[in-house]
Amino acid sequence: MAVKNDGASSKKSFLPRKPNFSIPARREEKLALKLLLPTLLIIGIIAFYPLAHVFYTSFTDRIFAGREETNFIGFDNYRRLLSVHIATLDPVIDETTGEIVVDPETGEVVYERPIDILPREPIRFREVNQFTLFGTRYVVGATDRNFVLAFSNTFIFTVVSVFLELVLGLAIALVVNSKFRFRGPMRAAMLVPWAVITVVSARMWEWMLAPGRAGMFNAFFDWLGVVERPIAFLAISTFQLPAMIAVDVWKTTPFMALLLLAGLQTMPEDIFEAAEIDGASKVRQFFTITLPLLKPAIAVALVFRTLDALRVFDIFQVMLGQSQYSLASYNYFQLVANRNMGLASAIGVLIFFLIFIFAISYIRMLGVQRE
Amino acid sequence: MKKSLKPYDILKRVGFNFMIIFVLLYLLFPFYWAVNSSLKTESQLFMTPATAVPRDPATLEFSPTLQNYSVVLRDGQFLRGLANSTIVATASTSLALIAGSFAAFALGKLRFRGRRPALYLILAMTMFPQVTVLTGLYAVITVLGLSAIVSMIFSYLLFTLPFTTWVLTSFFKGLPNELMESAQVDGATPFQTFRRILLPLTAPALVTTGLLAFIAAWNEYLFALTFTAIEPGSRTVPVAIAFFTGAVAHQEPFGEIMAAASLVTIPLVVLVLIFQRRIVAGLTSGAIKG
Repeated sequence: MAVKNDGASSKKSFLPRKPNFSIPARREEKLALKLLLPTLLIIGIIAFYPLAHVFYTSFTDRIFAGREETNFIGFDNYRRLLSVHIATLDPVIDETTGEIVVDPETGEVVYERPIDILPREPIRFREVNQFTLFGTRYVVGATDRNFVLAFSNTFIFTVVSVFLELVLGLAIALVVNSKFRFRGPMRAAMLVPWAVITVVSARMWEWMLAPGRAGMFNAFFDWLGVVERPIAFLAISTFQLPAMIAVDVWKTTPFMALLLLAGLQTMPEDIFEAAEIDGASKVRQFFTITLPLLKPAIAVALVFRTLDALRVFDIFQVMLGQSQYSLASYNYFQLVANRNMGLASAIGVLIFFLIFIFAISYIRMLGVQRE
Repeated sequence: MKKSLKPYDILKRVGFNFMIIFVLLYLLFPFYWAVNSSLKTESQLFMTPATAVPRDPATLEFSPTLQNYSVVLRDGQFLRGLANSTIVATASTSLALIAGSFAAFALGKLRFRGRRPALYLILAMTMFPQVTVLTGLYAVITVLGLSAIVSMIFSYLLFTLPFTTWVLTSFFKGLPNELMESAQVDGATPFQTFRRILLPLTAPALVTTGLLAFIAAWNEYLFALTFTAIEPGSRTVPVAIAFFTGAVAHQEPFGEIMAAASLVTIPLVVLVLIFQRRIVAGLTSGAIKG
């Protein structure tokens, strides 16, 4: 782009000497603005005005599709979403013996109940999680437990699925990039998961993950003999997030592979030939030539996928409903089911900033690449 | 290059083919399973263990059924969803292509102040989180009193328009400046140059970006779900499939859901396979540039 601009500016100074070719600059400018007007107008109406509206609404207690009066409540919505409290839990001491109480069944130390420790004013904190660090037991409490869980779900989902997509995508791209007979059909097959509507793929997987042996996975595991009883993958919380990740990885790995394949195909072949002559092994070639040359393509694909994964909605909403949320599906839930438009707007604003930070680094990265 | 095959080479070749089969299986299996399930009756669906092709429960002979498809096609919900989706995706894509090609011509070929900020604005728009403006868009729609269909057409521009603008801008930039200059010599105004000369040249790019924008609009779920919440008649295909309850609602009719899923996926897959090369080029340029 830098090159392009230099060309344009040098032409500007050059043009007046060739009167035949010049268009009056002002006319050109006017035309440009006229042509841009529809796009800018549309973006203004569907993006900037709503965005301003969302910012404003996030400071109110507005009810969705209701006639109730709206009050300005300042940062209350944000305070509710972001209040997190970490407290230590002390072991329970038996009053008569003065010793630490141990659960007779599990043999584990009994700790105080989090509900007695977490603050209740002004809003009650609820337990999110407990963990032990250096022998001390901690409890994490939050005023909006579901938001904190939605945030951690989205975060884990993003990191794990993007990582797996990168590894698998790279493997598939390398396979497809080598010469073999069925390369054409293979590349076509890669587009199939990408072409399936996300909601449709969610339902396809929902059926494959069905509880009972009618489900493909349960039938398969049963055949392998690795499980004793069919697993209800989508109902047990341990399996929910991995299931979401599996669906997303299946759906978007081809996209990642295509981006990386494009990067692979720009690589000059003679480097590899030279490496071959020098006796470098394929593995060595991969780490010393392919990977460094592929870095820009990997960076772009990574950030692109990260931005997408952070706003994941469809599969969470379709497959998990209200049992676990992503940030976006929690936003939708607060808006439509809870009708809490103020709070939903605050969630929207938080998602906006989260993605904004990523987007800025994305543009930076691309900018660096252009130089 | 020509060497006699050593055992190691044979092993390598077998391993490679094995990997290809594995990847193909991974990519295509869920889709195959959906088609397989769509051809089963309810009792066949719940046979244990699940069978790889529809089989008769008693004789285990191959016996597919088209019953699920006929139920889906006779169900008004699904066909209405198809019609709604077609209207919404086509209208939104056309609007995005018209407005986008105008803007792209200005950004790619004309000189004016504020060109760079405009370009960055549109680049930033391609990363805009749609869920953020959900509540604000709903407010705009209520004020303007738009129907669900019209709301979807306009709100989908949020992602189709920046995408078409960005990809077409890079395409216009790639066209030689001499084209414009010689047209000007012949006395054409810049707009005439755009309409008569440059636009026909961008036809392939228009098809690709249009197709990708169409697929994105066809896929959209969040806005469709929200805006059709009080207007079930306007549900698009994704919402219809998400809500699919079937004719007899005693349990989730997965056979019918899979039939509906196959019905909406097969045309898209065929379309994608026809335009394979262009889609890959469009995807990579769209992603790398925006």
